[in-house]
Amino acid sequence: MNIIQSTCISAQNTFLTPEPAFGHLPAGSKLEAKEPPYENIPRSLLRRMGKAVRMGVGAALPLIEKNITPNGIIIGTGNGGMEDCIRFLNQIIDYDEGTLTPTNFVQSTANAIAAQAGLMSGNLGYNITHVHRGLAFENAVIDALMLLKENPKANYLLGGIDEISTYNFNIDQLGGWVKEEFPATQDIYETTSNGSLAGEGAVVFVVGNAPDKPDIKACQTLHSTHSQEVMQSLGAMVELHLPGGFADVDVLISGENGDGRFKHFYTDCEALLTNNTAIARFKHLSGEFPSASAFGLWLSGEILKHQTIPVNALKNPGSTSTFKNVLIYNNFRGQQHGFMLVGLG
Amino acid sequence: MPSVMITGIGAISPLGNTVDEHREAFAQGKSGLSRLEMFTTRYADLLYFGEIKTSSDALRSILGVSEKNVTRNSLLALHAMQEALQMSGLEPQQIAASGTALIGANTTAGICLTDELYHDANRDTNPSAYINDYDAGSINIFLQRIFNIKGVVNTINTACSSSANAIAYGTRLIKSGMADRAIVGGVDSLAKFTINGFNALGILSSEKCRPFDKNRNGLNLGEGAAFLILEREDLTGNKKILAEVTGYANTNDAYHPSSLSPQGNGPYLAMKTALETAGLKPYDIGYINTHGTGTENNDEVEAIAMGRLFEKIPAFGSSKSSIGHTLGAAGAIEAVVSVLNLMYQEIFPSLNFDTPMYEQAPAPATHHQKVEIAHIMSNSFGFGAIAVH
Repeated sequence: MNIIQSTCISAQNTFLTPEPAFGHLPAGSKLEAKEPPYENIPRSLLRRMGKAVRMGVGAALPLIEKNITPNGIIIGTGNGGMEDCIRFLNQIIDYDEGTLTPTNFVQSTANAIAAQAGLMSGNLGYNITHVHRGLAFENAVIDALMLLKENPKANYLLGGIDEISTYNFNIDQLGGWVKEEFPATQDIYETTSNGSLAGEGAVVFVVGNAPDKPDIKACQTLHSTHSQEVMQSLGAMVELHLPGGFADVDVLISGENGDGRFKHFYTDCEALLTNNTAIARFKHLSGEFPSASAFGLWLSGEILKHQTIPVNALKNPGSTSTFKNVLIYNNFRGQQHGFMLVGLG
Repeated sequence: MPSVMITGIGAISPLGNTVDEHREAFAQGKSGLSRLEMFTTRYADLLYFGEIKTSSDALRSILGVSEKNVTRNSLLALHAMQEALQMSGLEPQQIAASGTALIGANTTAGICLTDELYHDANRDTNPSAYINDYDAGSINIFLQRIFNIKGVVNTINTACSSSANAIAYGTRLIKSGMADRAIVGGVDSLAKFTINGFNALGILSSEKCRPFDKNRNGLNLGEGAAFLILEREDLTGNKKILAEVTGYANTNDAYHPSSLSPQGNGPYLAMKTALETAGLKPYDIGYINTHGTGTENNDEVEAIAMGRLFEKIPAFGSSKSSIGHTLGAAGAIEAVVSVLNLMYQEIFPSLNFDTPMYEQAPAPATHHQKVEIAHIMSNSFGFGAIAVH
């Protein structure tokens, strides 16, 4: 399954830019997306859209308009439209279940992003939303991999989207998932405290079979709290798909996020690599969110396309200078692990 | 591609806590719709609901769950999943094998705790016990932990068609070789969130819902959970095969965020594609378990879409006339009902039907009948207008 095209709305200048620019490194515990002006969404509609829907549709529409009528829309999102969800919930409590307007309710359902993108593009094809927390996007990828086996000539829109709303930020902060100190973003990896930086974004891909484009060779997931088990599973996947095993991995894109509780997973993963492998990381650029691995996948495509690792994302250069195979390892809250292998040719 | 067999089913709804109780109640034409006795909302006495009269505390003790942060959704899901696993006779090591997937659907997850979520999201008190369990994934992550599931674990939300999509996803995992077995299903419990949401849309009925009746005036919300065990044919051994998943399809109506297109393009295309996937002709279908919510829009459009596909519309009915609309659980519960129909070669009465919607309009089957049926179609349509089979 190849990445034919992609768009990325993130905390960085990544939307429809020729090469990723990762200069935006603010301090604080929230990395908010730099949203484009959304010129192709009618203003009246745009005003009513929650942020997740707006970012998701905003990222999807240029791809739909550019070329293809996709055969379906597959979205992964951990939270969906959380802002609308709690707005409606606040109405319920504040007006004691009185007469309410349904707009927030309809927008709050997690599948509003895929549904709205389908509605605006008149797409009658497959339409689904995967919402399995930190593996929502990986499950969307697995779905797309299966669909392309079933229909090799098809193209699908595949997206990972999550928003920071005041409410999920509050919940994540209460749950201990956001750092309480305010490190400079690039310093989060030096901290040992709990939590990470809150992030958000919308990354949408057109995937199909196009052999000259970056190829998503495999996507595998595991629920586990035991690093040894996770590394075994990761090792088995790499051995299965790369003849030279880890020696063939040119770049590791690591989901390391500065949460001291789970750093050992990434350390153990790096220990599997040879000196060839360059290591990149991105959570200081994108922030942490359930579908953040979509940003990792987008970054892998950019690295393969431009044959260079953006300097701000580089942790360790490795000895290889041509990049053919990229491994993405991300874990969410030390329990949900996703591995993706992306390669050229 | 390998065939995918159903070897276990489990269900809990207002009609019963087990599959056997469901069969008996459905056959007798019992209604599970009532005023609310356990759940508190200002609509408790104003509308009808499909409420399970087993409290969350009672479920906790039946299931031996002591952790505080387990929601009613997780409890109902565990109840139904355990029954399905027992019926299929899967051993713990088979459940925990890397080839066994868990695919669950829901739309409310922790939102069923409307008041707790209100306080946590607005940060006006200390965190509640549920602080990490509001999101959609929380239910299946809970089930994953209990059974130590190591295969693909996924949660799907396509609103009211969610669990039909979960069944299709599990089937495709097996067909594509990415899983050997899949535990698939869905759950939703009553929530102030959905009650007020559907009420704001003006589609909740103050009477017991009347699918496909001229005087239908809305749906009743219900709660429940159902799970099915899917296994690749060659792994079923001597097990009793309850049914086979032969066809499925998911299409988008692309008409309106909360209603269906007048010609039912999405539903028509989904039914048609599901038949094609199964390699069946319309006349092979012996019964349709419709989406049949009892809203003006759904039933009319569903009838039109059925009329477009079937030269002669087969016998059909709506399980929602007995238990209400259980949202993310509906597709799975209705799949379980369809499996029962096939196993016992019978169809159950669709309730509260009196007058056809218009002259020549198709009428649901209203009596318990023994029939010969080989194939059943089960419809689910969702918000954002996705149709699934």
